[in-house]
Amino acid sequence: MSSPPAGDVQRLLETMQVGVPEGRVPARIFNDQAVYERERERVFGRVWCFLAHESEVPKPGDYVTRYIADNNVIVARTERGDLKASLNMCRHRGNMMCKSEMGNSSHFRCSYHGWVYKNSGELIGVPYFKEGYESKLDRKQWGLVPVRTETYAGLVFGTLDPDAEPLEEYLGGFQFYLDIYLKQGPGGSVVHGPPDHWVAETDWKICVENFSGDGYHTPVAHQFGFHLGYFPSSGATHSQGWAAHIPGKGHGIGLGHTPGMPPFAGYPPELVAQMGETLSPAQMEVFSKTRTAVGSVFPNLSFLIQPFSLVPGEPGVRFCTMRLYHPTGPGRMEMWSWCLVPAAASDEYKEAAYKAYTLAFGQAGMFEQDDFENWTRLTRVAGSSVAKHLEFPYVMGIEREPLSDFPGPGHVVSPYVTDTNFRGLWGTYTDYMLKES
Amino acid sequence: MEPPATPGASRPPTPSAAEVPQGTDNDGPIVVANEFADVVVRKAHTRNGVRLEIWSPRRGTVIHLDAVALDCLSYQEPELITELLARTPGA
Repeated sequence: MSSPPAGDVQRLLETMQVGVPEGRVPARIFNDQAVYERERERVFGRVWCFLAHESEVPKPGDYVTRYIADNNVIVARTERGDLKASLNMCRHRGNMMCKSEMGNSSHFRCSYHGWVYKNSGELIGVPYFKEGYESKLDRKQWGLVPVRTETYAGLVFGTLDPDAEPLEEYLGGFQFYLDIYLKQGPGGSVVHGPPDHWVAETDWKICVENFSGDGYHTPVAHQFGFHLGYFPSSGATHSQGWAAHIPGKGHGIGLGHTPGMPPFAGYPPELVAQMGETLSPAQMEVFSKTRTAVGSVFPNLSFLIQPFSLVPGEPGVRFCTMRLYHPTGPGRMEMWSWCLVPAAASDEYKEAAYKAYTLAFGQAGMFEQDDFENWTRLTRVAGSSVAKHLEFPYVMGIEREPLSDFPGPGHVVSPYVTDTNFRGLWGTYTDYMLKES
Repeated sequence: MEPPATPGASRPPTPSAAEVPQGTDNDGPIVVANEFADVVVRKAHTRNGVRLEIWSPRRGTVIHLDAVALDCLSYQEPELITELLARTPGA
């Protein structure tokens, strides 16, 4: 096995450029100061980052604070009802404007010298404007710094790059698959309560890779979920299904299939009857056969939908989780985890889906615990003196031809268990990291 | 009834929370707060009618708005509040 040089991140990435198509990824990429610093500029400074779901800020004045790289961003619903994103920073001396992660306010007032802004970002109030500034400060120049946003099916994305391609192009057809999470019946999907939120000694990229369709780990890492009867799959058939990714974009999804499972199992029947209104026939064909849909939007937004039993052995309840892996340093991240529910579903189903989500994911969820135990340890190992010179094999399914007759877009292979999506993810990641401004 | 206070002008002494009159369920008090401000709102009865009292404990200011004033507020544009805040940002 060849060893990438440890000293220089540029050479590491050039090694990846050659290695990823051949099925090799260096361990060092998961825990390294120089890699983290370059990601902050070249990945998170250029991509469309998920900020919030529109249902988190439904009414005028509602706001949440989120991150793009290490920049805190306010996403607010203005008094006129439109969405505005601004850096969470007073323009006077740079103090953080909103300390709460969520709230409602028509105006923001800085706690340092009292500058007041509309929640859309315009500076409107300056204490001692006449006495101190002699009315000469041009308030129009000193509003909150705006952040460019676009939305897709309720998801609000922001970018720091004024030249970033439109969100539609950035998603590049992945919308077909995203709709399983975002268009669950009439009215789409909405968040069920605020996100769970915690810090982990884990690299964000291993989480994204896992949620780009790592069906391979499920029967092992989550074996108790299998054996106790919470999760409707078995080791004998678990490899079945499809893996789709959008070449050059980094987005990927695994579609796990359980033979004999009824179409759309785990959804309320009335919702299934309505789904044809929001989904295309091709989407209905793909999603009806999907037990597990586990997908990621590059770089760090993921989703999972699957049935999970509230009582072992009983029929599963289909829940949907959306998660964001926000890097805060090499091998460190803040985890954000939401439960999405169909807007049109009954309260009874929403509560059951939220219970299933909480049982499986969220801070204390059974599957979440299994994953973070593994991810945190592999992150620690990746930073160790010997491991950081080693590479890992990403060769599963490397010679498999894509399906020519699959109803959905992208590069699609079968079975579900493959590294194909991950090679796509790492290839896009390497391209961003090597591209100079 | 006390006259409405003007921020920056003479302010009434700030009562403690224990001194907030406890009315019936319909009279309040209710607290409306976010991370930037907090006010206590209640119905304030006069001999012949009622006003809405808005009290800012941190600032120590209070205003009593009658039905005509409140009705008038109900059809203002949000920019009115922006203009008021621009005039007196509240330092």
